Amino acid sequence: MQLSIDGKSVTAQTGEYILQVAQRNGIEIPALCHHPAVEPSGACRLCMVEITHADWGGWKGLVTACLYPVQEGLIVSTANEKVRKVRAGVLDLLLARCPESELIQNLSRQYGIEKTSFIPRPEPDLCILCGLCVRICEKIGASAISTIGRGIDKIVSVPYETEENYACIGCLACATICPTGEITFTQDEQTRSIWGRNFELVYCEDCGIAIGTPEQLKHYSERSGLDMSYFTKCDRCRNREAAARFARITF
Amino acid sequence: MVKKQLFVTPGRCTACRNCEVACSFVHTVNPMVPAEPRVRAYILSETENTVNLCLQCEEAACQKVCPVEALNRNERTGAIEVDLERCIRCMMCTIACPFGNIQIDVKLNEIIKCDLCDGDPACAKFCPTLALEYAETPNPDPKPREVAPLPPVPWMLFSKPPAKK
Amino acid sequence: MKNSKLTSPEKLARLKGKLLKQRQKQRPIITVCAGTACVACGCVPLTAAFREALKENGLEDKIEIRTTGCHGFCERGPLVVLQPEGIFYQQVKPADAKSIIEQTIQNGELVEKLLYRDPQTKQVLTHEKDIPFYSKQMRLIFGMNGHMDPTSIHDYIALGGYAALARSFLEMQPEDIIEEVKKSGLRGRGGGGFLTGKKWATCRKAPGEPKYIICNADEGDPGAFMDRSLLEGNPHAVVEGMIIGAYAIGSHDGYVYVRHEYPLAVKNLNIAIEAAREFGLLGENIFSSGFDFDIKVSRGGGAFVCGESTALMASLEGKIGEPRAKYIHTVTSGLWGKPSTLNNVETWANVPMIIEKGADEYAKVGTEGSKGTKVFALTGKVNNTGLVEVPMGMTLREIVFDIGGGIIENRPFKAVQTGGPSGGCLPESALDMPVDFDTLTEIGSMMGSGGLIVMDNLTCMVDLAKYFIHFLQEESCGKCTPCREGLRQLHHMLEKVTRGEGGVEILDDIERLCMVMENASLCALGSSAPNPVMSTLKYFRNEYLAHLEEQRCPAGVCKDLITYSVIEENCTGCVVCKRACPVDAIEGEKKEVHKINSDICTRCGICLAVCKFDAIFVE
Repeated sequence: MQLSIDGKSVTAQTGEYILQVAQRNGIEIPALCHHPAVEPSGACRLCMVEITHADWGGWKGLVTACLYPVQEGLIVSTANEKVRKVRAGVLDLLLARCPESELIQNLSRQYGIEKTSFIPRPEPDLCILCGLCVRICEKIGASAISTIGRGIDKIVSVPYETEENYACIGCLACATICPTGEITFTQDEQTRSIWGRNFELVYCEDCGIAIGTPEQLKHYSERSGLDMSYFTKCDRCRNREAAARFARITF
Repeated sequence: MVKKQLFVTPGRCTACRNCEVACSFVHTVNPMVPAEPRVRAYILSETENTVNLCLQCEEAACQKVCPVEALNRNERTGAIEVDLERCIRCMMCTIACPFGNIQIDVKLNEIIKCDLCDGDPACAKFCPTLALEYAETPNPDPKPREVAPLPPVPWMLFSKPPAKK
Repeated sequence: MKNSKLTSPEKLARLKGKLLKQRQKQRPIITVCAGTACVACGCVPLTAAFREALKENGLEDKIEIRTTGCHGFCERGPLVVLQPEGIFYQQVKPADAKSIIEQTIQNGELVEKLLYRDPQTKQVLTHEKDIPFYSKQMRLIFGMNGHMDPTSIHDYIALGGYAALARSFLEMQPEDIIEEVKKSGLRGRGGGGFLTGKKWATCRKAPGEPKYIICNADEGDPGAFMDRSLLEGNPHAVVEGMIIGAYAIGSHDGYVYVRHEYPLAVKNLNIAIEAAREFGLLGENIFSSGFDFDIKVSRGGGAFVCGESTALMASLEGKIGEPRAKYIHTVTSGLWGKPSTLNNVETWANVPMIIEKGADEYAKVGTEGSKGTKVFALTGKVNNTGLVEVPMGMTLREIVFDIGGGIIENRPFKAVQTGGPSGGCLPESALDMPVDFDTLTEIGSMMGSGGLIVMDNLTCMVDLAKYFIHFLQEESCGKCTPCREGLRQLHHMLEKVTRGEGGVEILDDIERLCMVMENASLCALGSSAPNPVMSTLKYFRNEYLAHLEEQRCPAGVCKDLITYSVIEENCTGCVVCKRACPVDAIEGEKKEVHKINSDICTRCGICLAVCKFDAIFVE
């Protein structure tokens, strides 16, 4: 189907969302809670665009590009004055929430905001509650973290904030996906620490490099159906071993 | 038409590592951070050498375990490619591959695997002994071929447009 | 167990006939309202006292006691109505039971002190129907409440219940039902006002099985309790409406999402569902038609946002009660991604009436765009508070002054807030507007679930807006930025205004923030949250200006801008205020003029309330 984004005619498939199509066509729409690996959520409200249609009798409205399904003949404006005003307002609010986040500072600057006009949150952290960590954890299959509480008191946490209820496998996907760097981890030769818990490490039999945490490998084994005996060597050593096997195959 | 495939003939390999260098060149985006090669040459004994690279398995373990569908087959080339936008570096694929042919480039924090250079594998092009060849059928009786020397670095760097960050 | 299954509509009709015959031996009935408000006022010991008194007088077999659903006039509870005459006694104490039986039942004399006295005309009124609170109402949905025991399916059937269900199975195809509902012009009573028939038609046509029917009974607006009263007082009407809807849409699974804080509603609803199952009206093969439908009750955990349809569905699925975008409607992809029809309690209760009377008859009531009646929870500074059901299009003035009996102590009317916390405040100039969906939206408010809060001159509009924003801030789910962060900032700004800080420029900031929240919020909670602020800014801007420019709160509410002092001429030195003051801010000996130390005074207003000589002054 055909639709128009900022006056440019673009092609899209049924079931796609505006953001996807725009990105494919090199049209930039800022988004914080969006990641192609997880389902869109519409939480950050930064990807607002204005839509209208020749058949809508002049009606137009703001929608989130990450969640609005494309349709034939849709007319999308991604950067008109109203859109920019609303996005600036959202960024202003986010800057009050996370005044120290470089990501938010940079984005805000693009919308002409150097300093928030609101009252900054006392004791701010870097969490913008985009929910990417929670969604990716669910996708990995661990579902170890969730948002708890509501409204301004909402936080991302492990259940009841106690270690006994730990489902975390220490895979670090949440830390990887976190756009602001709020989720951090540490790893030295013996331990990996994340979400307030220390994980042991499993090492490669041959070269001694750390492969992952026992919990992580167990989870991967369950998910993939691969035997635990698989996880005794690192990819490099396995590669060498396989090469030898291949070389000595006789037909 | 028979599809071209990448054939490995271990007996012809001299472990000259031309393939590794070519692979690294083709996949490097930033010249200051050369990419890890997706193909590895090994000297197994005094008389045995070989290379190992992704077999593009029909039922690929890496693809099966990926929780975010970031590994997808390019129908044109037959290669399984990594969608780095989607990938969340959970490393499940690197653990799942029985042959260790999908790895992480620690410097770039990217999952790497052979992508058949979008249908024109550089390793095969620069293999002097046809231990690696990209063809419809393997050449049964190859003569050592004249391989062009690896081109100077700058030319190689721009043979592929820098990927978008 | 005797098989009581009604396998055909004819059997239902026969049962009704039998029940009516039994009841023709008309016995006097003492109906005691057992709605939650009357339970709180003590109707349970009252009922026991009645039974005791009947026993003493040997009347147990001659007179029936029926504990009924809510009568609506909650302020005057516990309510007792003697049928068939309709004698109305209010604020009845257990001690009065004996005199009612001895005087009224046995001797036909009225118990004068229990009768209702009109606060305006001072006239004493005997019958329920004569009381202005009731006489101006049109109780089509609520009318049955006062005549039946909500736990008795026999009562409901005797009053004509389930006849609409029988009619729809006997005479109508699912499409006919949808057509009838469409024709009736019924609009969703939960707040959105979407055309119910249209919703059903889209859901019926939507691809995907199974389809779900959901009743939204997560009523959370402060002050609104009509859904509660309906579920408590007439649960079968809701059940019947849901079965008809399920038949029309082609659904076999129904859910009622009801607040855990409504124990009586949950209890009565479960009794009703159990009874309907026993009578074969729920379950497999209803009326031998081959159609199956059953209802499950799910209790909500007390989040206001779970009244939002998508958050409710998420909660039903066992997830966190957070809304999702509705660009793909829930009728296409709702509960578990399947086509789902969600209506609120009142909407479902309207359905049997439409089918029974026919759409044309139903549509005679109401205005062009809004048909039927609407139940409002009338609260605030009016004389008569409670649940009122009026035809759509009645003016606010009629509701507030005729039914509500005017403002307490005849103080001047200032505003009426409609539609719950995210509704708007309307000034006196809007009083003659007809109340319907479109008019209310047009003048900057909304129908919402039907809360009506009346305010007099002692209410500060800034403080009121701040109150609602605080409520919403507490109840925001926190998923999206504008609602979560915006409400916090808006509350900060309003707090500043109530302290007289920020200058007039702060109003521009408030308006700008409201614009962002309206446009960017994920669900209706956030996008309608600015309503109380925007509507008070529109109609009562000068109150905001008084705070900001003159550092003055005209209503004398905002604590940072008022001082309490003693009017020396009026003070008799009675020490009542001194004793009442919780912080000992009042000085002065007996029979001497008192003084309030404003450094200590917390502006709690207790002295003002206790002074009998109008000697406390607020400025």
